Amino acid sequence: MNDVIITAKGLARSYNRGSEQVHALQAVDFSVGRGEFLSIVGPSGSGKSTLLHLLGLLETPTSGSVSIEGRETAGLKERDLVKVRRDSIGFVFQQFLLLPTLTVEENIALPLLFSRRAVKPDRIKGIMDMLELSHRSRHLPHQLSGGEMQRVSIGRALVNDPRIIMADEPTGNLDSATSEKIYGLFKMLNQKGLSLIVVTHNMELAGRADRVIKLRDGQISNN
Amino acid sequence: MNIFSLAAKNLMRRHVRTSLTVAGVAIAIAVLFSLLSFNAGYERQLGGELGSLGIHMLAVPKGCPYEAASLIIHGGVIPKYLSYADLDQIDKISGIEIASPMLLHQFFKDDKPHIVYGINIEEQKALKPWWKVEGRIFKDGEAGVMIVGRSLAEKENLKVGQVLDFGPNKEPTTIVGILERTGNQDDEFHFLPLNAAQRIFGKEGQLTTVAIKVTDISKISEISKKLEEIPDIQVVTMTQVMGTIMNLVGSAQALLFSVIIIALFISAVGIINTLIMSVNERTREFGMMKAVGASGWDVSRLIVIETLIITLAGCAVGLAVALVGSKLVESFVRGVIPYSPGGDLISIDPMLVLVCIGFALAIGLLCAIYPAVKCARLTPMEAMRSDLE
Repeated sequence: MNDVIITAKGLARSYNRGSEQVHALQAVDFSVGRGEFLSIVGPSGSGKSTLLHLLGLLETPTSGSVSIEGRETAGLKERDLVKVRRDSIGFVFQQFLLLPTLTVEENIALPLLFSRRAVKPDRIKGIMDMLELSHRSRHLPHQLSGGEMQRVSIGRALVNDPRIIMADEPTGNLDSATSEKIYGLFKMLNQKGLSLIVVTHNMELAGRADRVIKLRDGQISNN
Repeated sequence: MNIFSLAAKNLMRRHVRTSLTVAGVAIAIAVLFSLLSFNAGYERQLGGELGSLGIHMLAVPKGCPYEAASLIIHGGVIPKYLSYADLDQIDKISGIEIASPMLLHQFFKDDKPHIVYGINIEEQKALKPWWKVEGRIFKDGEAGVMIVGRSLAEKENLKVGQVLDFGPNKEPTTIVGILERTGNQDDEFHFLPLNAAQRIFGKEGQLTTVAIKVTDISKISEISKKLEEIPDIQVVTMTQVMGTIMNLVGSAQALLFSVIIIALFISAVGIINTLIMSVNERTREFGMMKAVGASGWDVSRLIVIETLIITLAGCAVGLAVALVGSKLVESFVRGVIPYSPGGDLISIDPMLVLVCIGFALAIGLLCAIYPAVKCARLTPMEAMRSDLE
């Protein structure tokens, strides 16, 4: 953890719900070190997913800024944001969001289609071997267990060689044994040098991270 | 995997809906292609048919309604007649190569109209040198004989040598010949020697029309003026016949086309609705794609490609159906419009195929633009959280 990979300054996000304005996140400042494994926890509605989405450039903050690998992202054009998302970050979602008509192998390779990079079979095979999915390479998502689907989702996040993995409730739909395996994988990826930011409800799993940030009412209550 | 295979796999996820949408496009294209082909083929066949008559103008009784005069050549019967005195005067005009008198009579058998042509065979042979007959051609002045058109013979199961009780007095009349198919209205007629037809139908000395061929086409106008100086005669040139028939048919065609355009519009709206729904349902997926590195352009491109696959597949199916079903469409349209020439009315023109492909592409792009632009503009989280409206 020698240097900083992500910095958030005064990060806030508000939105309207009917006539009411909801402040999902209020002026959050913090940073994540290169190679750090960070957990973000908090009750429902505390703003933890909103924080992750803003850090991952999936939505635009109402105010404040995010800097990724030393590059300030506020004011970047959409094509530059796409590039940062594509090259620096890999996302893992609670609902997996796999394409049902694509095989395991194709789902993992999907981001390469958008980054215009050639699919290197060895690279895909390496990811599948690491995630213990090689025997499932030709299977479709509906033929997989929840844990396997989440591993495919992690494989998809890794295929572009990002420096940061962001996971939003990655074990929310999994049983405890499978959740353990997924966290084991995260730990392994972290040991390989990747930075991880994981949003979770599960305090026990969160505790395995290097650092835990607790959010309450859109503010960091414990860092 | 490339963007095309990804689009194709996406479409196969909802194969029933995709098939129905393709069918919708196919129906629209089939109707469009059939009607455009019919329109082109109709004018071509009509021109060809009038050309194949071998005559340049018709002398008809004065006061005969113009439209009716135009239809004489296709079997229309008018209640006024010319006399042989009129024919003598026509013969005196210089520049006329052939003036062939004819009597047309219509009778009904099993509620179906039958047309009888009384003709001078030697003049008809000169006007229609392409006539070929199974059996033989009768001679002028011969009695108790007739030739029939090929389609009529097939419909009525008539054979050479068969004797029919013909006319109001049921006179035994032998079919001495059956015309080989001409592709025009001659295929539907009975042909009798002129004097025999006049006698059988009680029209002695009466002529329905005189078909005229001139020696020099450039003098048609001049000869037409001279003919109209004869008190009982009005002249209809073949150009006028064509114009009149196209006018007659034009109003029916306009109505038909209006209905078809409305049907196409409704069909297009249905297709757009289905495609937009299909895109809406997958907005979350598009959000995920953006999160893993897709740009707005990538997502738009995927939507456009999916839509174009549907519309182009529909176009291919529609064109195939139109080609296979052209006879069915032709018989339907023939029943709707007031007059149609013989032969194949559906004309398969590569240009029309291109027009249909262009139409399909236009529908595809029209359908794709809205959801593609909308999806492209959403941030990944907006797309993952919400549906398009």
